[in-house]
Amino acid sequence: MELYELNLSFLVEGLKAKKFSPLEVYESCKNRIEKCEKNIHALITRTEDFAKSQLNENNNGILAGVPTILKDNLCTKGIKTTAASKILGDWRPPYDATAWKDLREAGAVLMGKANMDEFAMGNTCGNSAYGATHNPNDISRVPGGSSGGSAAAVSAGYVPFSLGSDTGGSIRQPASFCGVYGLKPTYGMVSRYGLISYGSSLDQIGPFARTVRDLQLVMSVISQYDPMDSSCFRGKKFDFTHSEDVSVKGKKIALVKEFQDFKLDTPISDAMKKVQKILEDEGAIITEVSLPVVARYAVACYYALAMSEAHTNLERYDGIRLGYTVKDASGIKEMFERVRSYGFGSEVKSRIIAGTCLTEPSRCEEYYVAATKVRTLIAQEFTKAFEDVDFILQPVTPSLPQKIGENDDDEMKSYATDLYTLPVNLAGLPGLSFFTGYSGNLPVGLQLIGKRWSDPEILNTGIILERHLGTPKIANGGE
Amino acid sequence: MKLNSEEVNAIALESRLLLTEEELSNAVRYINNFLDMLDRFKELNLENVEPFSFAETLECPLREDTVISFTNTQAIFDESEHVDGAFFKVPRIMEE
Repeated sequence: MELYELNLSFLVEGLKAKKFSPLEVYESCKNRIEKCEKNIHALITRTEDFAKSQLNENNNGILAGVPTILKDNLCTKGIKTTAASKILGDWRPPYDATAWKDLREAGAVLMGKANMDEFAMGNTCGNSAYGATHNPNDISRVPGGSSGGSAAAVSAGYVPFSLGSDTGGSIRQPASFCGVYGLKPTYGMVSRYGLISYGSSLDQIGPFARTVRDLQLVMSVISQYDPMDSSCFRGKKFDFTHSEDVSVKGKKIALVKEFQDFKLDTPISDAMKKVQKILEDEGAIITEVSLPVVARYAVACYYALAMSEAHTNLERYDGIRLGYTVKDASGIKEMFERVRSYGFGSEVKSRIIAGTCLTEPSRCEEYYVAATKVRTLIAQEFTKAFEDVDFILQPVTPSLPQKIGENDDDEMKSYATDLYTLPVNLAGLPGLSFFTGYSGNLPVGLQLIGKRWSDPEILNTGIILERHLGTPKIANGGE
Repeated sequence: MKLNSEEVNAIALESRLLLTEEELSNAVRYINNFLDMLDRFKELNLENVEPFSFAETLECPLREDTVISFTNTQAIFDESEHVDGAFFKVPRIMEE
């Protein structure tokens, strides 16, 4: 077995016991990246030299010498950070994102910055100014998005874990498409300081890994209170300690009644049945909850809010302080127009225009304010549901990953496929995307959702599921 | 159709975006499809519903009001092509 094939927890144990050195791990991962990157294109920027320099820091933290990769919307001090947009040019942030600072202090070394949909807007990782990422399980297919590069890198064995961000499913959907585990933590559990904003009331940073235990380890490092993020909740302690002695006996796990009539690809509906059986055999009670407002209004509500927030967040890109610029503009208006028109891609432009439209005084009440109220109803519906049940089991997507280029020309239809993931962000809940097996060479994932702050319990349930369903193998990466 | 191309172009200009003809035609289709999707909000009675906020963060946690020194200002200036001494220099704001 090559060192790059080791999952995070084994790697940490092996490094601690000095069975191999950080340099050997680094070399193995570097070679793996070298071999597969031409097929997958998971990375915008490779930072192996920086990682090697970190190995000389003699860090003794819990992740000492462990290679990792960050989605390229996480700020890295002095290292190019693009959000996959031309508008950021070669920008080198003057500070580290808190989640990366936490990992760095724990000893993780940075091998690269991962490709993504521009400003995290998309679900294929094809909407990037740096070209499309390919699914390491089948390079003719999409890896999902927007954190597609982060998911693909873990799936292909570049690194044992990575970070992504999830505004409406951007961790859970690529985790499912690439055959790894991905956690979208409760809103407020992980600091977003240094995350390039998309929809600030929805954005959340979270990890990808090849085992649930590995997610627990990463969460134990990054779930810290941070005064630099006002959404970060002070005064809560989270216990992500791994234990095999976990149980779902007597737990109520619900299916969503309104989702039962929606069409799923057969491998996904088969996986739903298989997982229900496993949970029942483990002593859980399978039940049903009704979420009618979620089922009918969540997609419209989400996109109204996400675009309104995006339009505000992206106002800051003006070409003056950082990124792409022009030097011969006759006035400020011309400068803004030229920088933004060249710098933003078409999907981003569409969403900015939509957000501007919804928040104009003449339309704000009808659309934006209405969406914030619909969001209240959606959150209330979840709160009520979780009074009766412990978790909700549901798909991540209705379909397996499509071929690259087979995107639906009707954006609204494409947005509708996010129905299973984006309600979680609207209500600020945690969601685990977990591996259930393969259909041919394509992985099939499902999702477990819990009430706010139940992330440790969700991962404990994930441990039981992984025991039954098996751990995903490293994808061939097109080799 | 709720918005014609002239109206969509005006919104784009508010966002400081100049659209090509193709981009404008796509944006018109996109915005109108999107607004049609949002029409379903009208099915709900939202009169007595409060806008959403996270219950735990209703009271925004405040930091101590103390100065924290940031010594890496040169790194910020290094990223801009519009620096004059310790200032950012922008093109003229008043139109001629």
